Amino acid sequence: MLKKKICMVGDFSVGKTSLTQKFVNNVFSEKYLTTIGVKIDTAFINDTKLIVWDVAGRDSLSPINASYLVGANGIVLVCDGTRQSTVRDIKDIWQVVKERIGEVPTVVALNKADLEDWHIDAEQTAYFEEQGWQTFETSAKEGQNVKALFEALVSEIG
Amino acid sequence: MVETNLQQHINQQLFEKLELAYFCVDQSMRVIDASENLESYGYTGVITGANADDCVDFMFGLDAHTELDLPLVESPSGKKVSVSLLPGSTFLTVLISNASVQADQRQLLQQKANENELLVEQQIILMKQLETASEMLEQKNVQLEEASRLQTSFLSGVSHEFRTPLTSIMGYTNLVKQALESASDESSENDKVQHLRAVQRSSKHLLSLVENLLDHGKLDSDEIVVRPKATDLAEIFNDVKLLLKPLSDAKHIDFFVELDFEQPMMVVTDDSRLRQCLINLLGNAIKFTDSGSVRLTAVLSNDFLKVEVSDTGPGISEENLAKIKLPFWQAADTGKTGTGLGLTITERIIELMGGELEISSVLSSGTQVNFEIPAPQLNATLEPIAAVAPSFKQAKILLAEDDYDIADLIVMMLSERGYQVSHVDNGELALNALESQEFDFVLMDIHMPIMTGYDVLAELQAKGNTTPVAIMSASTVESDRAKAEQLGCFDYLIKPVEIDDVIRVMNLALEQ
Repeated sequence: MLKKKICMVGDFSVGKTSLTQKFVNNVFSEKYLTTIGVKIDTAFINDTKLIVWDVAGRDSLSPINASYLVGANGIVLVCDGTRQSTVRDIKDIWQVVKERIGEVPTVVALNKADLEDWHIDAEQTAYFEEQGWQTFETSAKEGQNVKALFEALVSEIG
Repeated sequence: MVETNLQQHINQQLFEKLELAYFCVDQSMRVIDASENLESYGYTGVITGANADDCVDFMFGLDAHTELDLPLVESPSGKKVSVSLLPGSTFLTVLISNASVQADQRQLLQQKANENELLVEQQIILMKQLETASEMLEQKNVQLEEASRLQTSFLSGVSHEFRTPLTSIMGYTNLVKQALESASDESSENDKVQHLRAVQRSSKHLLSLVENLLDHGKLDSDEIVVRPKATDLAEIFNDVKLLLKPLSDAKHIDFFVELDFEQPMMVVTDDSRLRQCLINLLGNAIKFTDSGSVRLTAVLSNDFLKVEVSDTGPGISEENLAKIKLPFWQAADTGKTGTGLGLTITERIIELMGGELEISSVLSSGTQVNFEIPAPQLNATLEPIAAVAPSFKQAKILLAEDDYDIADLIVMMLSERGYQVSHVDNGELALNALESQEFDFVLMDIHMPIMTGYDVLAELQAKGNTTPVAIMSASTVESDRAKAEQLGCFDYLIKPVEIDDVIRVMNLALEQ
């Protein structure tokens, strides 16, 4: 059986845990509970077992702990479509990833697509295209593109 | 021996206090040793010979040579643990310690910090929205002030525009009245005719102002309608010339009218709309030209009428040229008053007539306004009214009109031409009259007491009475005309009605 380690990274409160829980357990909670450290879950896509590391989000006081990324086969960069700063911060977060584990297959989730105050346009996501990352407008609440996001990453990992 | 026992005791105490658990793996990541208490963290199946990443998820992707600290990892038991990977020369030791207390404390602080940061972010967004709203309000305020300024300027313009022809009407009427009352009337008949012509011109001017005001209300609702009909083009231009010449004379500027077609020239166009446009354009040209000339040229070629109005006025800046067709807009620095509606309405009418109004201007040199509209030429000429169908003069006409001044005027004018006219002042009397006597033609107002013109039309329609009825109404609203037409009226004349138009419609009805 194939196994792949995937890390969910991004700013705090962008919905990394919500996306993971929707994907792994098909549940969603409106309540915001910040992740401390890392939570590891497993799920399957076909015959591939995914070990999903839901890493605590980056905030103004603490950067992402790059130790968690060691051995990752793929990265899901998550940002919140209603907070433009979380899209801008992806650049810095990617630097941390790259320095620690090099360039690994990556996809981007523009999360919270169900909310009305969506602020993302093509100009803001141009960087993602430059990097060649597949980008998905996701909604953990409604399940929009959640499975497609992970399937795309697994396919990129090969 | 004692030392070894002591060391073991201490180690035991430390392991218990920190709830330390461990396992060791060889270079191929197979478990070679494991503490029994691993299960308290939910790590089961960690037995000698097992693959580490099969029984402990976080071990997948790691190797036996890399030293690594993984703080606050959620173990399968739900407890947060700190994991330390300590590579040795032949095996890797993985130490796991309970970090629940640290995690709980961190959770509380981090949760608050993140929630606060989210609040700050939301505050920033709200502040930006407030700033935007405030800017929009400020813009709206400026727009409202501008609208208020335009309204004031519009009212003052309307007042001025109306007072000018009214002054002329009142003055000349007074002159004629005095001449008629005076025993020693020294003014000639010719003078009186000239005075009355001035009154007529000013009345028409007043009417065109009213039409502009009414038409403005229809701009948004697309209710302005053009009604092409056979008309003498030369008569329109000559009328306009006579109407506006006194204005140019009063300003001592030349007013040239050059017509490149024969007179009379019968074409199909909406005469009153064309007249309205020419008055608006020439009125503007004369108003803004203080010296030099205003020139109107008209060419009829291949069933198209080309008109140009040029003046030697102050010209219009590029900036103002862009705004000049906006409703109510008037240049602030000209010192001229007006309604600011003429050009807006003219542009729309020209558009409806199938043309386009073009304005070009050079500051300090003057302005040219052009348009070209279809005007299909007719071979026939309009017969003079007085010569039309003398036999119809015996026709019996019923006039239903509640305004006695208007009724008297129409009765007098029709009687002078030999028609037999009966007058009633409400709809019910009109209906009674039509039931008890025979009439050849009915001329009827809409808004009358007891029964309106619409009610009478409906009753006549219901009773199958086919006497032709022409409506006279002050309403220019298209739906009113449509309603009357639906109820079978023969024609719809808009007040003030010209007696010649009444007779033309009447003769047409009687011919049928």
